[in-house]
Amino acid sequence: MNVKPASDTPNPAREKSGSMAAGRSPFRRWFRTLGWRHIVAWLAMSFAFFPVLWIVSASFNPLQTLTSQTLIPDSLTFDNYRQLFGGEVPYTSWYWNTLLIAGGASAVMTMLSALAAYAFSRMRFSGRRVGLLSVLLIQMFPQVLAFVAIFLIMVQVKDVFPSVGLGTRAGLTLVYLGGALGVNTWLMKGFFDTIPRSLDESATVDGASHHQIFFKIILPLTAPILAVVFLLSFIFLINDFVLADAVLGQGSPEGYTLSVGLFRFLNDQFNQRWGPFAAGSLLAGIPVVVLFLFLQKYIVSGLTQGAVKG
Amino acid sequence: MTEREARQVQDSDAPPPENGRGTDAPRRSSLTWALVGKILFLGAVNALFFVGLPSMLALEWWAGIAVLGLATALVNWAYLTKKNLPAKYLIPGTIFALTFQIVPVIYSGYISLTNSSISHRLSEEQALDNLTGRASNVPGTTRFDMSILADPEGTLALFLVDDEGTETFGTQEGQVALSADEVTRDEDGDVVAVGDYTLLGIAAISERQNEILDFDVPVERGAIMAVTITTAAVYEALYTYDEDTGMLTENATGVVYEPKDGIFTAADGRTLDPGWQVFIGFDNYTRAFTNDSIRGPFLRVLVWNYVFAILSVILTFAVGLGLAVTLNRAGMRGQKIYRAFLVVPYALPSFMTALIWAGMLNQQFGVINELLGADIPWLRDPTLAKASVLMVNLWLGFPYMFLVSTGALQSIPSELKEASYVDGATPRQAFNAITFPLLMVSLAPLLIASFAFNFNNFNVIYLLNQGGPPIEGATTPAGHTDILISYTYRLAFESGSGAQWGFASAIAVLIFMMVAAVSALSFRRTRALEDLA
Repeated sequence: MNVKPASDTPNPAREKSGSMAAGRSPFRRWFRTLGWRHIVAWLAMSFAFFPVLWIVSASFNPLQTLTSQTLIPDSLTFDNYRQLFGGEVPYTSWYWNTLLIAGGASAVMTMLSALAAYAFSRMRFSGRRVGLLSVLLIQMFPQVLAFVAIFLIMVQVKDVFPSVGLGTRAGLTLVYLGGALGVNTWLMKGFFDTIPRSLDESATVDGASHHQIFFKIILPLTAPILAVVFLLSFIFLINDFVLADAVLGQGSPEGYTLSVGLFRFLNDQFNQRWGPFAAGSLLAGIPVVVLFLFLQKYIVSGLTQGAVKG
Repeated sequence: MTEREARQVQDSDAPPPENGRGTDAPRRSSLTWALVGKILFLGAVNALFFVGLPSMLALEWWAGIAVLGLATALVNWAYLTKKNLPAKYLIPGTIFALTFQIVPVIYSGYISLTNSSISHRLSEEQALDNLTGRASNVPGTTRFDMSILADPEGTLALFLVDDEGTETFGTQEGQVALSADEVTRDEDGDVVAVGDYTLLGIAAISERQNEILDFDVPVERGAIMAVTITTAAVYEALYTYDEDTGMLTENATGVVYEPKDGIFTAADGRTLDPGWQVFIGFDNYTRAFTNDSIRGPFLRVLVWNYVFAILSVILTFAVGLGLAVTLNRAGMRGQKIYRAFLVVPYALPSFMTALIWAGMLNQQFGVINELLGADIPWLRDPTLAKASVLMVNLWLGFPYMFLVSTGALQSIPSELKEASYVDGATPRQAFNAITFPLLMVSLAPLLIASFAFNFNNFNVIYLLNQGGPPIEGATTPAGHTDILISYTYRLAFESGSGAQWGFASAIAVLIFMMVAAVSALSFRRTRALEDLA
C-alpha cells in the first residue's frame, strides 16, 4: 500500500488514510494500477495452495479418515506418521527404492547424455547430422507407450538374467536408461557449444587426451546444466507410474516405488488410509519441492528450451 | 533446434579440430588406469553376453541374442580400436536407446499383430508341452508307500509297497517284482537298499527334488509318479496329441480338440487353456473400428483424448499467461514471492497431487463437497468427471505456463511497446499486435510440446479416477475420462480385462502415429516461426 502515486494534486493526509470512500483517492488509483494485481495473485495462490494446506493438515490430524478431517485439526499428532512407519506397509522401502532407482537412473542418464553431447559438440564425423536428428526423432516415440512390450521383454529377461528381469529395481533402472538420449542431449550440446574451443586446444597442446578434456574441462565447466538435466530426469522418473507398475507391479509390495505403492495403498481403502497417505505423500513431496525451488532459475531456463516435466 | 539451425551451427563452427582424430597422448599413469578400466569394462560386457547365451539358446530367444549380440559387438568395435573416437562417446547411450526404446517400439508393432494375452502368451510348442504333460490319477489304482533310492551313478529308483503289502521296485524301465533276498533292511524292518541301490537321505532328496518330481515309472496304463516324498500313485496323461493331424484327444472322453486361433477348441466350442500366440494380421486394428461393442467406447476415448489435450493446453496457457501479464508490472511489490509460491503445484510430484485431488473430490468424504455443503458426484458423473479432470490438470499445469510466459514476456524489449504507445495504441492494442505475436514465436513450440505431453498424461487420468466412470455397455475397460494411454494400460494390466497385450499394443501403435504426427508438425512449425522472427 505504500506505492507513491504520481498524482497531480498530492494530498498527504488522504494518501495516508487511503480509504475506499475517498472518491478519486490514491487508493483507487493504486487499486486500478496495482491493487487488483495483488488480489489476482492472492486468488491464484489460494488455488495453488489449498490442496497443499489440506494435505499438510490431514497428515497431522488425529482422526485418520477422510470423513472426519477438518482443515484446522483439533490437535496435532504424529500418529499418521507412526502408522506409516509402523510396518503395515513397507513405506521406507518404497522411499528407498524410489531414491535408488530414480537417483541412479538420472545420474547415469545425465552421464550418457553428456558423453553423446560431447561427441556432437566437439567432433565432426560422418553421420553427425543424422545422429543429431535421430536423437530428436527418437523422442517422437515415447518409451512409456511401449510399456506392454517392455513388460513382455522383461518377462523374458527374467529367465536369462534373473537379477535384472521383471520385478527388480535394477531392471527398472535399465529400462529408464533407454530414455537417456533426447531433448536433454540437445540441451547439453547447446551448452557445450558455448565453452570456447580454445580451452580444448590448449589442453591438447599440453598433452591432454580427449577423455581428460571431457572429464577435467568440459564437465566441471558445465556443472549447472548437468544439475538441471539430472534434476529434471529425477523428477520425471519419480512421477513415472506406468513403467514402474509394468516392471515392479506384479512383484511383492516391498519392491514398489512410491508412485505404485502409495496409489495401491490408498486405493485399497480410500477413507481409512487418508491420514497415513497424507503423511506419506508429504514426505515424498518435500525433498522434490525443496530441490526445485533451490534450482528454479536453472530449471526454468531448461524448461523454456523444451524439456517437459511429468 | 531445427535442421536449419543444426546446419548453421555446423557451418559456423571452427574447422574440425585435431582431437577429432584421436590424438591419444596421455601421460603414462592415466594410460594405465584407463587401460585397466577398459579391460574390465570390455571383459564385463563380453562376459555378460556369453553367460546369457546358453540360456537364451535354450529358450530359443533369438531376438534377445540379436540385441545383446549387437550391443556387445558395438562395444568391442568402438573400444578395441584406436579410431572411431565419436563412437566411443555415442555408443553407451545408443545401446540403451536401442535396447529399451527402439526395440520395444518395434516389438509393440510385432505384438499388435498377434493375439498375445494372458491366455495366449506361450509358443505353440510350450502350450502343447503343458497340455500333454497333464496327468490325472488313474481311477481304481492303488497308492503306494514309497522310498527313494539311487545307485552309485545316481540313477533314481523307487521302492514301492501297495495296499496289500506287496513290494515292487520301480525304475525308468518299469515296475518289477522283488524277491526277499534283494532287499536289505535295518532292524526296524525299513528298507535301506535294493541291490546296488541305496536309500537317499533327506538332504539328497531335497537337493534332487525336481528330478524326483519328474521321475516316472512306466506301467501298463500311465506311469507311477511321486505324490509326496513318501507316497506314489499311478497317473495317466489327460490328452494325447496326434502329430499328423495336429489334433488333441481327451483320453477320458474321446473328445477331439482342433487348434484354432491359437487355442485347442472342441467341436462344441470348448477351449483348453493355455493357448499360444499366433499372428492374426491386422485384426486388432480392425477390431477397434469395426467391432460394435468396442468401436463406440474406443471412438469416445479417442475424441476425449483430443478434447482433453487441447483444452488442457488452452486452459493452462490462458491462466498462466494471464497471471504472467498481471504480475509482470514494474513497481509491483512481492513479485518474486508470488512467483516462488505459484510454482509449488508444479514442483510437487504429479502422482501425488492427482491422488490428493481424488481425496478432495470424493463425493461422500471430500473437502470440496464439505465446504459447499453439497453432495456433488465430482468423479462419478461423466460430465463432471471430465470437468474435474480438466480442473485438476489446470491446477497442475498453469504454473509451467506461468513460468515460461513470464520468461518470454521479460525477453520482449520494452521499447517496442513504448513505441506503440507513442503511436497512440491502447495497452490492449499493444498486447494484441505486439506482445502476443512475439510471445507466440517463442512459446508455440512449447505449446505443441505441452499438447503432446497432455495427449499421454496418464497420471492425471488414471491416478485421479482410473478413467472412470465406466462407459455403459463397453466390453473392454473404457471409462468416460479414459484417454488412449490409460485405456491401453487398463487393457493390458487391469485385473479382469484378460490382459489383452496384442490389442493394447495395437492401440499403443495408433498413439505412436498420432504423437509422431504432432511432433512432425512441431518441427515444421518451429522452423516456420523462426523464419518469421
